[in-house]
Amino acid sequence: MIARMSKLEIAGPKERLLEVLDVIRELGVFQPEPEVGYFVAAERQGDIHLLIPDQGTMAERLFLENLRRMTCRIIELLPAVETRASLLDPLPLLDTIASVAERHLALCRDLDAQRTARLSEINELARCAALLGAIETLVGDLEPHGSLEFIGVTLRDSQQVERLREGLTRLTGGDFTLSTSIAADGALIGLIATPAAGSRRIRQALNEEQFPELPFPPALRDLPFPERIRLARERIAVADRELAELDLRREIFARRWLPFYRRIDQWLAERLALFSTSSVVHETGMCFVILGWAPSDATAGLARQLNGRFRGEVAVDELQLLEQDLGRVPVALRNPPYLRPFELFTRLLPLPRYSSWDPTPFIGLFFPIFFGMMLGDAGHGLVLVIVALLVMRRRRSGMLTDAARILLVSAGFAVLFGILFGEFFGEAGGHMLPITPLLPERSSAIMPLLMFSMALGVFHVLLGLLIGLITALQRHERRDAAGRIVTICLLLCLAALAASLIAPAPWLRSTPFLVAAGILIPFLFLSGGLLAPLELVKQIGNIVSYARIMAIGLSSALLANVANHLAGLSGDVVLGALAAIVLHAVAIVLGTFAPAIHALRLHFVEFFSKFVEAGGRRFEPLHK
Amino acid sequence: MEKALICFAAALAIGLCAIATGWAQSRIGAAGAGTIAERPEMTGTIIIMLAIPETMVILGFVVAAMILYK
Repeated sequence: MIARMSKLEIAGPKERLLEVLDVIRELGVFQPEPEVGYFVAAERQGDIHLLIPDQGTMAERLFLENLRRMTCRIIELLPAVETRASLLDPLPLLDTIASVAERHLALCRDLDAQRTARLSEINELARCAALLGAIETLVGDLEPHGSLEFIGVTLRDSQQVERLREGLTRLTGGDFTLSTSIAADGALIGLIATPAAGSRRIRQALNEEQFPELPFPPALRDLPFPERIRLARERIAVADRELAELDLRREIFARRWLPFYRRIDQWLAERLALFSTSSVVHETGMCFVILGWAPSDATAGLARQLNGRFRGEVAVDELQLLEQDLGRVPVALRNPPYLRPFELFTRLLPLPRYSSWDPTPFIGLFFPIFFGMMLGDAGHGLVLVIVALLVMRRRRSGMLTDAARILLVSAGFAVLFGILFGEFFGEAGGHMLPITPLLPERSSAIMPLLMFSMALGVFHVLLGLLIGLITALQRHERRDAAGRIVTICLLLCLAALAASLIAPAPWLRSTPFLVAAGILIPFLFLSGGLLAPLELVKQIGNIVSYARIMAIGLSSALLANVANHLAGLSGDVVLGALAAIVLHAVAIVLGTFAPAIHALRLHFVEFFSKFVEAGGRRFEPLHK
Repeated sequence: MEKALICFAAALAIGLCAIATGWAQSRIGAAGAGTIAERPEMTGTIIIMLAIPETMVILGFVVAAMILYK
């Protein structure tokens, strides 16, 4: 259901504005309206204008925004450790907090810069160590002599290694050694050992082919080879130690100060939200005025709270809701617990207008029935009931739980229709049950089920048209209402005509319905214009679309039968049971998705197009 | 011969509709995949839109059933 909304005007002394906004946000039932035109009569609009903040308010806002920038940066720079919640009230300490935060921000930046430098150094040294390790493997304990040159390169993948090898073979005629190694940071490093005479050409070619050369850090470049390895490893150990010390310092600092800064940040966010909200507040010469919407059942509570807290200084007036306001009224959906999970489907559609209908109760009523009719297997339904219960047991709230609740109800209907059709993991399973099916087998009774689906379509489409007719009458749209009445009558005539042709009976003759349809057609043109017959054909198409209930149901039944048949072909009990489990699992998955999508489609396209008017504005109250 | 023609007519009725549905779904599916990549919140709507052309194959199925079981 769409909740009834009230149009409110809250007025009070300007110095109380932030406190009033704080109470409104705490209650979370009021949505302010920035446009004054819908609330205030034209002659009063000159006296009321948007609130212009004074110099003091602006200075306070800028100060708080700057402070928040600092606290946010401090929180970002510190490690996200779990801490207790602070109960500090920052308001009396704001100046002290600002000066401390400035010092702390400088310290945090310094620690972070040091950490980044250490990390970068460790990465560079680790790559260098990997390169040196590869050289060590190549030359053993021998000191590399001057006639040999080593070139390190960073490679992307093994394909690039092959490309490099081919290029080097072409360039040096095979007078080189290429070995690869993985650095500590996961980078692939290649080491080229080549006679010094040809190294210049190789470097030039590497540069042209865009193979980045891995340089040695300047501190290591001019040292003897064994010294380089030793020094690189020593430097990595030192840098690791320094990094650990820095991390410890940061963690100690975070444990001490993070709860404090998190609390300040939360307080600042709330305070700044009040300032932002004040941009939709209006003022007169004497007081502030907040115009907006609240659910009618929450209006009395809001007025009571504001009266109680401000001892009558703040007035809450309910204004009359006019017809021209209907387009602006925000929409809040309120449904009983059974229907609430079905709002998951409603959210897939644009929100209905305030003066339209909430589609949720209709989906809640018809979706499980359509789903049950299409799946129509007691065994598959029971499996889905168990799955839904398991999900609901693991999760108490959220989108997945809502989906599980919908599945539970829908699977319940699948069990019911499974019993009616006599299907339990296929028709063969149904024959073993000690019950007599009330409905014919789906795999053989195609035409009766087709007729039944169409009859259901007639009912559903007519219900949609009827609800649309009620809406048109409520809005005094006479022409639209007349068109809908004629369409309903014509569809009834055509349905009766089809019934008289399919199942002729002495009491059901086609002639009166033909005559009635002939009489109604001119009225159809009169009420709907030249395009009215096209609309009628569209309605007939919508009704035929309900044949999918039978079609999906038939495929679902046949899939289960095929699963049983294939399992039976194996000739082995264990293998047959395994095959049956796998094939029925596939049938259940398909049998869940296809009916769900098609049942939704029948609602969204065939049913709701008759009466749901999209374009509503979501009710978004101020809240903490 | 008459039975063969009837079966052929039913096969044409559902087969051509199935091809048309498949073609329409391929276009909607490609556009839908692009939409979901940019706006994942549209997933539900896209799935529903993907099911819309199936009306054609359903209508074909109805016609085929009427040809076969008349």
